[in-house]
Amino acid sequence: MSEQRLFSRKNPWLWGSVGLVAAVAIVAMLIGFVWMPYSQSKKGESLWTFICRAAGTPLSAGPTLIPTTPPARPSNVIVTAQTMSADNPEQSIGRGGTLALRCSMCHSTQGKLPLAQSTIPNLAGQNSLAIYKQLRDYKSGHRVSAIMQPMVESLSDQDMRDLAAYYASLPVIRHGGTPAVKAPAIVDNGAPMRNIGACVTCHGEVATKAGAPYLVGQPQAYLRTQLMNFANGTRKNDINEQMRNVARNMTPAEIGLAAQYYGSQ
Amino acid sequence: MSLDTPQSQRAEAVAQKAEARWAIVVILIIALLLGMMTYMGLHWLTMPASRVETIDPSTLHLAGEFMEENLGSAVEPDGSVTVRLVGSQYSFTPQCLLIPTDTPITFRGTSSDVVHGFNIAKTNVNVMLVPGYIANFKTQFSKPADHVMPCHEFCGVGHAAMWAHVQVMDKTEFFKRAEKERRLSCVK
Amino acid sequence: MLNEDTRKLILAHFWVAFIAFVAALALGEWQMYIRSPLHSWIQNPELYYRSVTAHGSAMGYVFPTLVAMGFGYAISELSLKQPLIGRRWAWAGLGLAIVGTLTAMIPVSMGLASVLYTFYPPMVGNPFYYIGIVLVVVGSWIWVALMSINLHAWKKANPGVPIPLPMFANVAAAYLWGWTSVGAAIELLFQIIPAALGLKTTIDAGLARVFFSWTLHAIVYFWLMPAYIAFYTLVPRAIGGRLYSDSMGRMAFILFLVFSMPIGIHHLFQDPQVGAGFKFLHAVFTGMVSIPTLLTVFTITASVEIAARLRGGKGALGWLKALPWSNPMMLAVAFSFIMLGFGGAGGLINMSYQLDFTVHNTQWITGHFHLIFGGAIVIMYFALAYDLWPHLTGKALKDIFLVKLQLWLWFVGMMALTFPWHWVGILGMPRRMAYFDYSNPAIAPEAFAVIMSFFGGLLLLVSGILFVVVLARGHLTEKITLPEFRFSQAVHEPSRLPIALNSFGLWLALMIGLTVVNYGLPISQLLAVKQTSVPVVPIGAAR
Repeated sequence: MSEQRLFSRKNPWLWGSVGLVAAVAIVAMLIGFVWMPYSQSKKGESLWTFICRAAGTPLSAGPTLIPTTPPARPSNVIVTAQTMSADNPEQSIGRGGTLALRCSMCHSTQGKLPLAQSTIPNLAGQNSLAIYKQLRDYKSGHRVSAIMQPMVESLSDQDMRDLAAYYASLPVIRHGGTPAVKAPAIVDNGAPMRNIGACVTCHGEVATKAGAPYLVGQPQAYLRTQLMNFANGTRKNDINEQMRNVARNMTPAEIGLAAQYYGSQ
Repeated sequence: MSLDTPQSQRAEAVAQKAEARWAIVVILIIALLLGMMTYMGLHWLTMPASRVETIDPSTLHLAGEFMEENLGSAVEPDGSVTVRLVGSQYSFTPQCLLIPTDTPITFRGTSSDVVHGFNIAKTNVNVMLVPGYIANFKTQFSKPADHVMPCHEFCGVGHAAMWAHVQVMDKTEFFKRAEKERRLSCVK
Repeated sequence: MLNEDTRKLILAHFWVAFIAFVAALALGEWQMYIRSPLHSWIQNPELYYRSVTAHGSAMGYVFPTLVAMGFGYAISELSLKQPLIGRRWAWAGLGLAIVGTLTAMIPVSMGLASVLYTFYPPMVGNPFYYIGIVLVVVGSWIWVALMSINLHAWKKANPGVPIPLPMFANVAAAYLWGWTSVGAAIELLFQIIPAALGLKTTIDAGLARVFFSWTLHAIVYFWLMPAYIAFYTLVPRAIGGRLYSDSMGRMAFILFLVFSMPIGIHHLFQDPQVGAGFKFLHAVFTGMVSIPTLLTVFTITASVEIAARLRGGKGALGWLKALPWSNPMMLAVAFSFIMLGFGGAGGLINMSYQLDFTVHNTQWITGHFHLIFGGAIVIMYFALAYDLWPHLTGKALKDIFLVKLQLWLWFVGMMALTFPWHWVGILGMPRRMAYFDYSNPAIAPEAFAVIMSFFGGLLLLVSGILFVVVLARGHLTEKITLPEFRFSQAVHEPSRLPIALNSFGLWLALMIGLTVVNYGLPISQLLAVKQTSVPVVPIGAAR
């Protein structure tokens, strides 16, 4: 009994089981890698081509790069969660503070709380990637503004990063007058069947998507204008149509509700 | 019970035979199912994604196949239709797909951020969109209808609002429109 | 007879497992309520996903692992009739599992890791969530090693003697888990945790899904092992019968060991990062892994018939009446088989990838694995706990009525939960959504079914609470003198076995070899391509 050896040619279990498993694998491979892909291959394709395709050998970039005329982009910025990793944050904030003097006329250097009727966004404590991206878009003309474009014309990439870092470092100012206001459903849940995402799942409070600004404390009029502009396509610097997809499905009443809620927080 | 009496040996042999018969039935059932799958794969061309292609999800909007103006339904020279779409937190672009009846359709999609996926309700269209890769899916629709197209993979806290729509329209009408527009969709 | 310290060890495993189970059960039912038409849309959808993450992690990683570990220690000592070797290590393993569970659950409950138990990179949450899961797995690896060590010590003392079937199956389960967990461990240790710690800013999401699929399917077979061990080695004895065939049992466990790993890509049929050829290959081997289950159905049904005929049952089907229906084990195995039957049929549909296209990632899938795992498997966990309990506490379980009520509630609840789920899945209802617009005509037809499954879940919650109540009361009765614990006897107990059926070397070699064949190329191809690493999307930073 104990002299029986497992890995021995005389053990029928060894070659039996290995043989059976190998047979199943080989038949499955012949069907999956040769027969099926052959039946679906184009004429004149070599055996090797469709075997590799069935095996999933990665092809980089699609073979059909479609020429686009003219190249219309929503933005030139590559937005990821890592876009703003600064080497020296302290220094960046310091430089940004100096640069912010030119912004103070409208945005104040302390990011002072604007009035509800203001169409100027509140920058205190805003997330740095959102500020940086909008500055770049103003400069490249992807976001159109007769006031902002000349303001950013002379800024270098580092200047914009510094400004973003400075404003992001300021403490958030809230209206704070009406803390008990319950958020309307459009803010908390959106409207799934109209593909309106919930504001809170990208714009802070519950979750923040890279590049999305915090909305709490933004003036009501500013928010309403921007949502309208996204809805009618006058503003389209949102990558992959993230905001246009939302705004075009919102009713004017819903736009009003969302703007009012964030404007009162 | 392990006494090696002739009687018990006979009983054991009977038991083993019954087992062996059952094992054969089981193997036949499985072989039948796998055979059906192979047959469908060979003759109905219903196969999962047929190639692996890679793409950078963070630069989709800068150049190439998945730029905004390339998304939607495009008529190919061979008369088939390619539907290109991008999944992002928390919408598909275009968010309403326009598709002709009785035409070979190829979906080409990818994700700009996290893993998404979609199924078109009451059809067999079901695709995963994994960032870094381009998904392909071939299908055909037989009758005009409106379908919902939810994202069916957890993609973050806003996942529940990620519903797109699909409008399948009559072939002739679709191709008439396609003469005027380079890319078609039912986004308003 | 169990050693006093081993008893404590097993009880500790079971109690931690069952507490985690009831907590996760309550979360599950809360989720059913929140997303049903009975509740308005949840104001903070993040809470829902937090709960799903906790529910999945507890039910998937903690509960079944600890049941398998505790049961495994019991099997080792009871079937080998030798004191458990390495008891201190076993306590250390349990300690790791508990520390891991707490480490993982703290960030989850704070909303810092709502990534669901299947992780979903490139979303990456708080590192402690993943580290906690790794600790649980490492704790279970200690168990894997101990099972192997105990078996080898016994073999040395008993050369050539057939390994008792319970221990053979138990060690098969341990090896299965050891190899299964490697896929997720690689994903966690080399991809996700470095990203969560900020050491890396990109991750290959497609590759991560391939690694996870390695674990994701076979883990279900690991969950299933204690239930199957109970089928073969407890059920026939408990209902007064004999096991129809010992060697068929061994074959079934061997087939699980070989075939449950190299099939995971069937979870990726719709994924773009794996070639169609590999999808077909994995579908074929998925077919192979249903063979041991179908063999088990035959063997156990035959064993049950033996019990009935020993009790005087007659006729082609008349013997069913002679079965001891008032015996909880009988009830459990009958319920388990019904659920296994439906769940298995659903599984064959998922395996055929053309059919899978209509149901992939819909509520059908949720229904499918709740029916198989939550139903067929967990009901056998209950049964084996009831069976072992007097031998762990030294006291009788007296609430036989409550036990039967509990099993009935679980069965009815699970049917009411999962059948509507399957149905809405066919209608196209997606998984993992915190709320639905039931007023929309496209979704309205699903509303009633969702309400039904909520009530199914309610029965399950009641049943789960009843389960721990019965076990807790089992500690409170007076001491009794117990007969020696026995496993089932086979009709023909083997006196000698071919070495292949009495050792694991060949099967482990086949298991690893087949995994290399079926996973080697998909993994190495993706490893070789650098451009598929995509930016990490951090989770849990609200502001």
